[in-house]
Amino acid sequence: MNMSTDTTPASAVSLLQAGNAAMLPTPHLLGIEGMNPLEIRSLLDRGDQFADAIQQSGDDLSPLSDVLQGKTIINLFYENSTRTRVSFELAAKRLGGAVLNISVAGSSVKKGETLLDTATTLNAMHPHILVVRHNCSGATQLLSHHVDAAVINAGDGRHEHPTQALLDALTIRRRVGHIEGLKIAICGDVANSRVARSNIHLLGTLGAEVRLVSPATLLPTGIGQMGVSIATNLEEGIRDADIVMMLRLQTERMAGTETPSQREYYNLFGLDRSKLMRAAPNALIMHPGPMNRGVEIDSAMADDAQKSLIRTQVEIGVAARMACLEAMAVRLASEAKKYGDGS
Amino acid sequence: MTDILFTNARLIDPSQNLDASGQLAITNGVISAVDAGPADSNSAKADKIIDCRGACIAPGLIDMRVQTADPGSEHLEDLATLLAAAAAGGITGLGCLPNTQPVIDNAAMIDSLGLRASRAAGPRLHIYGAATKGLTGTEMAELGLMAEAGAVAFTNATESIGDSLVMRRLLAYSNMLDKPVIQHCEDASLAAGGEMNESETSTRLGLIGIPAIAEAVIVERDIQLMRLTGARYHVAHLSTRAGIDAVRRAKAEGLPITADTAPPYFLLNEISVSTYDTAFKLSPPLRSEDDRQAVIEAIADGTIDAIASDHVPVDGDAKAQPFGLAQPGASGLDTLLALTMNLVQQDQISLLRAFEALSLAPATILDVAGGTLMPGAAADMIVIRLDTGWLVRGANFASLSKITPFEGQPVQGLVDATYVNGVCVFNRHT
Repeated sequence: MNMSTDTTPASAVSLLQAGNAAMLPTPHLLGIEGMNPLEIRSLLDRGDQFADAIQQSGDDLSPLSDVLQGKTIINLFYENSTRTRVSFELAAKRLGGAVLNISVAGSSVKKGETLLDTATTLNAMHPHILVVRHNCSGATQLLSHHVDAAVINAGDGRHEHPTQALLDALTIRRRVGHIEGLKIAICGDVANSRVARSNIHLLGTLGAEVRLVSPATLLPTGIGQMGVSIATNLEEGIRDADIVMMLRLQTERMAGTETPSQREYYNLFGLDRSKLMRAAPNALIMHPGPMNRGVEIDSAMADDAQKSLIRTQVEIGVAARMACLEAMAVRLASEAKKYGDGS
Repeated sequence: MTDILFTNARLIDPSQNLDASGQLAITNGVISAVDAGPADSNSAKADKIIDCRGACIAPGLIDMRVQTADPGSEHLEDLATLLAAAAAGGITGLGCLPNTQPVIDNAAMIDSLGLRASRAAGPRLHIYGAATKGLTGTEMAELGLMAEAGAVAFTNATESIGDSLVMRRLLAYSNMLDKPVIQHCEDASLAAGGEMNESETSTRLGLIGIPAIAEAVIVERDIQLMRLTGARYHVAHLSTRAGIDAVRRAKAEGLPITADTAPPYFLLNEISVSTYDTAFKLSPPLRSEDDRQAVIEAIADGTIDAIASDHVPVDGDAKAQPFGLAQPGASGLDTLLALTMNLVQQDQISLLRAFEALSLAPATILDVAGGTLMPGAAADMIVIRLDTGWLVRGANFASLSKITPFEGQPVQGLVDATYVNGVCVFNRHT
């Protein structure tokens, strides 16, 4: 974290020249799995710089870099989203990019146009970066094979949500100073969570001790082979944890065969003050949102100014996504140089 | 007078335990002589002499599991392309599933499809009647009338019969008709919403898993029902170790149970799905490596009797989708023989066992013509070059269905000619 306080906005801009951009080996950002610690750290380091610059610029929302100047970013969302879409939009604008938002409701997909037809249509408009969310695992990967733009996965089914994991890690790092060696409990609906998968990969790669806490019916097969320990009791699972990361329980899963009832879930797996006593004394609470208050988390916990990082996560999200967008843009520019502009 | 005499052939026939060079004669559509050894004076008496120059002659393949899109979705595969692809693949008889539109659940549908196939004068079409009306799994279809019209077996096609009482009655009734019931063994509730095999891989990919035991749950239940009814029962595309173990135990007990599998289940495993390539989305799903090894062992020891193509007509549109939305299935007729030869080349089974699984066993299970080169049998046979290599390219398939999980894979074993009832229905060189 850049601790200097005397930096003026003008020098902040000079700090944010693209030369410091994170470098990624692939043209797309589809998932954390397979990324090495250096690549992850380069994104976090850059996100850190953006986070500082955002803090310093206060209410002034003018661009902090011109790396996306003249570039079009399309947010293509097949699932409802508020925070992720807005976060990407802000991030792109603060890098000087032009942003288009396309929301494709589930029903209009059924009306006919396939994902690949939409991709072809969008491709004809020559966007530079496509930020895509889709309810099918692997959909962003499929799309990346059929468009010229760089694709950023903003959540694909149950698979991955890489920018959420990056912002979570950046939030932790800025608060605690490091990730390595931390005991991090990821609690709740692991089976249906792309956030959990991306975080397992990222936090594990950076050397954290990751534990999963989940009812047996929401623990997917073989998850134990992904370098995590598993508990089915919340108090046991979060014992001595430095970070307690709660996952959203999808409303349609609150009753039925995955969990008996909202009431029972809250009793057994909802985070409240007494359960949090088991965690480390300075344990911090995280949640990717949107929260179900009184289901997976007690309001007093969610709103606890000392313990809850939930609002910070949202703030840091913009910086983390700026680092990702910038890395994509820098790579696009170097590709253009390599192959000649316009060819 | 012999119509055709094939000389200098390597004759392969599991029904006679025969693998020797020699000659074979066809007269009036029937195999009239099979002689191991050098050509004799008979050769002068044939209308036509074909010098095989060392190529193999074997009984034509009988493919126990084929989906036709005709009637209903002829743009995916019509009867003509289906039979042409079968002939090109060395298949002289194919068992087709009743999941057409409309469903083959009455005698008139069997009459009509059978008549159209016979006019096409290609490979024999053996029709499976729907076990339940409209394939809904609730009401028994008119099995007796369909049997009279020529149905060789009954099945609910791509879905298990989940209701145990319905299954019990189906077994009892089809036993009375002396026809086997063919089951796609997959517990519907365990498999609900499933996209691939359930495992660490499905968890990593975020795809909904179908547990391997969804197969064994149905196999085990049906074995219990076999004990009650004494009926013949066949497990289609067996793909898991647990399911195989159940079949093996039932066979040891002497129950009339049989099974087939398909090339993807002995050549591929679930890791292929890792790139979300929808050509690898099949039903049942590609399983674990341990399951794949179990399938190979079971083919070798005869627990799995037969190998079928599991041909599903599916076009590019249905596959150019996110994995979860893509239709399962792939083309198989063009590649059944060559892919099965992989097992022979890797010394996992003998050549005779391969042809038993591809030809003799399905003929026996379905009680249909073919599967043998015995003198007196219908001349359903193929001329093949086992050492000729080629690349699997869906675009080159005779089938309209071009999607294959083996795209680009080199294989060995090429069909030169296919004969049904002594009539050449495919010749690569004309």
